[in-house]
Amino acid sequence: MIRYMIVQNVLHRPLRTLITAIAVAVEVAMVIMVVGLTSGLLLENAKRVEGVGADIMVQPPSASVFLAFSGAPMPIAIGEKLKQLDYVQAVAPVLVQFNSVNGLDVVFGIDPASFTAVSNGFVFHSGHDLQTQNDILVDDIYAKAKKIKTGQTMHILDHDFHVAGIVEHGKGARLFVFLSTLQEMAGAHDKASIFYIKNDRTDHTPAVMDEVRQLLPRYEVRPLKDFISLMTSSNLPGLGAFINVMIGIAVVIGFLVIFLSMYTTVIERTREIGVLKSLGASKGYIVRIILSETTLLCVAGAICGIGLSFLMRTVFIRLFPALSILISANWILRASAIAIIGGLLGASYPAWLASRKDPVEALAYE
Amino acid sequence: MANAARIFPSSEVLTLARERALEPILKTENLWKVYRSGKVEVPALRGVNMEVFPGEFVSIMGPSGCGKSTMLHVIGGLAQATRGRVLLDGNDLTTMTDAARTLLRRHKVGFVFQKFNLLPTLDAYHNIALAQHIHGNGFDPHRFEVVANLLGLSERLTHKPSELSGGEQQRVALARAIVSEPKIVLADEPTGNLDTKSSEAVLSLLRQLNKELGQTIVMITHNPDAAAYGNRVLHMRDGQVVDGSTVH
Repeated sequence: MIRYMIVQNVLHRPLRTLITAIAVAVEVAMVIMVVGLTSGLLLENAKRVEGVGADIMVQPPSASVFLAFSGAPMPIAIGEKLKQLDYVQAVAPVLVQFNSVNGLDVVFGIDPASFTAVSNGFVFHSGHDLQTQNDILVDDIYAKAKKIKTGQTMHILDHDFHVAGIVEHGKGARLFVFLSTLQEMAGAHDKASIFYIKNDRTDHTPAVMDEVRQLLPRYEVRPLKDFISLMTSSNLPGLGAFINVMIGIAVVIGFLVIFLSMYTTVIERTREIGVLKSLGASKGYIVRIILSETTLLCVAGAICGIGLSFLMRTVFIRLFPALSILISANWILRASAIAIIGGLLGASYPAWLASRKDPVEALAYE
Repeated sequence: MANAARIFPSSEVLTLARERALEPILKTENLWKVYRSGKVEVPALRGVNMEVFPGEFVSIMGPSGCGKSTMLHVIGGLAQATRGRVLLDGNDLTTMTDAARTLLRRHKVGFVFQKFNLLPTLDAYHNIALAQHIHGNGFDPHRFEVVANLLGLSERLTHKPSELSGGEQQRVALARAIVSEPKIVLADEPTGNLDTKSSEAVLSLLRQLNKELGQTIVMITHNPDAAAYGNRVLHMRDGQVVDGSTVH
């Protein structure tokens, strides 16, 4: 009976129901997309770093796990010392630069020989390896997103590069140039941001890490096997706070919309509340009706929001193929729960107001 | 004092009540209801004394503003009395909490209003069933069917209030009021929004409910013809019951 009444109430004002459900849907989609976008980018970045194929990554003291934020404070000569350590098979110095023109891209300056030794080389979709100082390799996702073909000229970091080849994605960055070229452009002669180390056997990683720590105290030495677990919003200063602020804004929007919607509903249904009271409906019964109606609206909105998130992801990835958006079941549930709890909080006051109405005054309401 | 004597049941009714050892289902003793508007006190009821016995159909008449509706609200537990006593089926409403009066309304009182007061989102069936749902004893299909048939609603149950005539809406409201078998039905100007034909139909149904089911009814009206459907008429003026007569 009560379910039928709630459904009928919701259907009685279709426009208000639609607007409320849309507001909740936007709230849910906003949470899912903000988290999905940040998580997707972090995870994709981590997979690319792992995809390099090295066992250990060495960075300067206090360096971030987010490569784009790394500078180039390490002398390249460190690489030679690392090579001499026990169990080390190959060492690849990489200079990382951040390109913010026409998007946000990480550019790796590499020495093709050492990088190939660590990563087993690129898989080419077209073209060839770096040969001249102005050559650049582009991964297939970036090439597709920017419609880049082998042989064309590409302008980044205020420099014209010749696209030598299109390579399979997943080797640390999307763009690769000669180490020496990037060092010259960045004014970082004989410097590197990262050293990738490949061991002769994977199980020697702890031993090599100990050796590196003895050789380079205070330097950041990280095993790449667990790199994905380091790529969380809590490891990026401000990102966790940003996500929380965005979620907070979404919750406030949902709260206010539900509050307004249910408040007007209660005002509009004053006489009906009086009728329910005359029939002997308790305060709890009336609160239950209002909160159940809110839950129904929020659940409908959450379902629409989940659908909207997947639709937005499809559209975004079609428009920006380099974008990675991770929609997880965990965050779908959390976003839905946030919307429902926020909605119920928003409806609490109107529900309380309804339950407190004087039945005689409510019955006389015009 | 002579007037006061007449607002109680006639000697015939009292004799019958005594024979059956009946207690009044409703009794008010020096009932006052005073509204406050700022510092001004407006007494709506000024010491009402009356009794209604089980199976009676009592009409209460009086001019606008004489306190009829206020009395209905107070004896139905919708409003709290300022002083005096209201005994409904042995329960003193004036000492009850709001929650206790809610329970009492749920189990012992059925209301019928002038403006029908059906829920516009529900069809006739669910408007009636709602009372049983709130009553809490579950849906009683037999009682529902008896009431729907008695009030001639069987063919109109799937219609929403906006699809029903005024007379049909009031019949639904009447069905809602009696479907949970209340001790007393309180009707506030039940024909006030109806044309003559529909009014007669609703009043006939009230009388039928009283005669066939023994339903106790207290009806407020300003229409003498409507009041004549009851078997006792009380007259109110200035917040007091001033006269009573038995209709034969």
